[in-house]
Amino acid sequence: MLFIAIIAVACHNSPQASQPKKVAVIVSTLNNPWFVFLAQTAAAEAKKMGYETKIFDSQNNTALEADNFENAIVSGYNAILFNPTDANGSIVNVTKAKTAGVPVFCMDREVNSTTVATSQILSDSYSGCVEMGKYFVQTLHKKGKYVELLGIVADNNTWARSKGFHSVVDDYPGLQMVAQQSADFDRNKGLEVLESILQAHPDIDAVFCGNDAMAMGAYQALAAAGKANHVKVFGFDGAEDVIGYVKDGKISATAMQFPKVMAQTAAKYADEYFKGKRTFPQKIPVAVELVTAKNVNDYMAYGKK
Amino acid sequence: MKKSIRYVLLVALALIIGYNSVYFKKLDEVKAGAGKTFDAAGYANTYFYKELPAETAKAPDIDKLIPLLKTDTANTFKTYGHALAIGTVKYFLIKGSGAVNNIDDNGLTVSTTAGNSIVLGTSYVYGNAVRDASGLVDVNKFSNTMDLNNISAEVDKIIRNKILLPVMPQIKKGSRVEFTGAIALNQAHLQLDGIEVTPVSLKIAQ
Repeated sequence: MLFIAIIAVACHNSPQASQPKKVAVIVSTLNNPWFVFLAQTAAAEAKKMGYETKIFDSQNNTALEADNFENAIVSGYNAILFNPTDANGSIVNVTKAKTAGVPVFCMDREVNSTTVATSQILSDSYSGCVEMGKYFVQTLHKKGKYVELLGIVADNNTWARSKGFHSVVDDYPGLQMVAQQSADFDRNKGLEVLESILQAHPDIDAVFCGNDAMAMGAYQALAAAGKANHVKVFGFDGAEDVIGYVKDGKISATAMQFPKVMAQTAAKYADEYFKGKRTFPQKIPVAVELVTAKNVNDYMAYGKK
Repeated sequence: MKKSIRYVLLVALALIIGYNSVYFKKLDEVKAGAGKTFDAAGYANTYFYKELPAETAKAPDIDKLIPLLKTDTANTFKTYGHALAIGTVKYFLIKGSGAVNNIDDNGLTVSTTAGNSIVLGTSYVYGNAVRDASGLVDVNKFSNTMDLNNISAEVDKIIRNKILLPVMPQIKKGSRVEFTGAIALNQAHLQLDGIEVTPVSLKIAQ
């Protein structure tokens, strides 16, 4: 009995035993509602599992992200649910955590390494844009001139989306891309870039945008030029305003990503890691679904109804 | 005498160690090895021609699968559905036969033996349906997601160029066809009308 009492007291006094494990959520930016949703869902899921959580905002700055990792490691966080700022620049930060014995689970965006993160849970952007490409070809009846607005050129998602789209559309010689320009995933830049392109190419039939923010900007530019009824706009994300625009017929389609699924999976993997699991898929895709006027009522912002 | 034998043995030992310590390789061979990329076309070829036929042979007939999906959705998804990605969309291998009712830009509208109307998507063969439906491709064996994307692209290319291109000119409205293929279904919003089949094989019934 005395022995059991001593063990009980010892356990009670041990900080490891009495305190819950800590999970840090380090996110690229909290200046975009999509990433706010991702971070808050990841934190909420980990909290639901009994872990102490804190969200760190990297403000799209790799140096600040490095500070966040430093703080998380020094403060004794046991796992990091991570949305990187830069596929290459973030590798060093994940490596630092790995060296400190802290597992990192990437969400949505990847790092260009297959050895540093414990697992990477990523939107299947390429496949989503293959479906988008098919719909694009069908909607334009295989012919017409179009513009592509790319996201941030250093981000892997930008190219995964573009490559998926072109893997279909480039098989149709009747579809001619007259301009391809980056608008940094930004609504205002999407507006400005398309306004400028329309000066040189007033006769376009469609705009494919690497995200919904740019699609909203593109639609605004077309509406101002009196072309919104003729030129078809295609986005990617499943943002709230674009879902509404698809319903109203203003935007032809978007591709729904599932930030909730990614956040839940990352939190679940961290929980499994704490419980002893060590084998995780290095990169696991999360399906992206095409949203058109036909099925838009099945969806809401960031997911399914 | 003993000393000379010892020297000979030492020299021989030194030569053996030296020979096994240094390797010479052609620089272009080393460079080729360093830049080794995944052979998606080769993988797709093996998958499509050597591994997939055994799976399509035991795939359920679409006329049997549709009633199962209606009456026992969850179990049918669990038993027959596969997908590499996390989500509610699963892919199923099927087989079937029927009469071609219509030919348009989307493909062949076929009325199956049991009267189900399906679309054989012969025009736009793109996506992951055939890669995923068998359950044979293991996501854990790939650390680069682009390799998985390239497998789909190469498998779809085989279907477009080697399977559909030779047979499509012979198929007319009213033709009776036999087919195997893959379908995509979303468990969260199950839609069983006009299911689109990505063909794996297609022939005119004798």
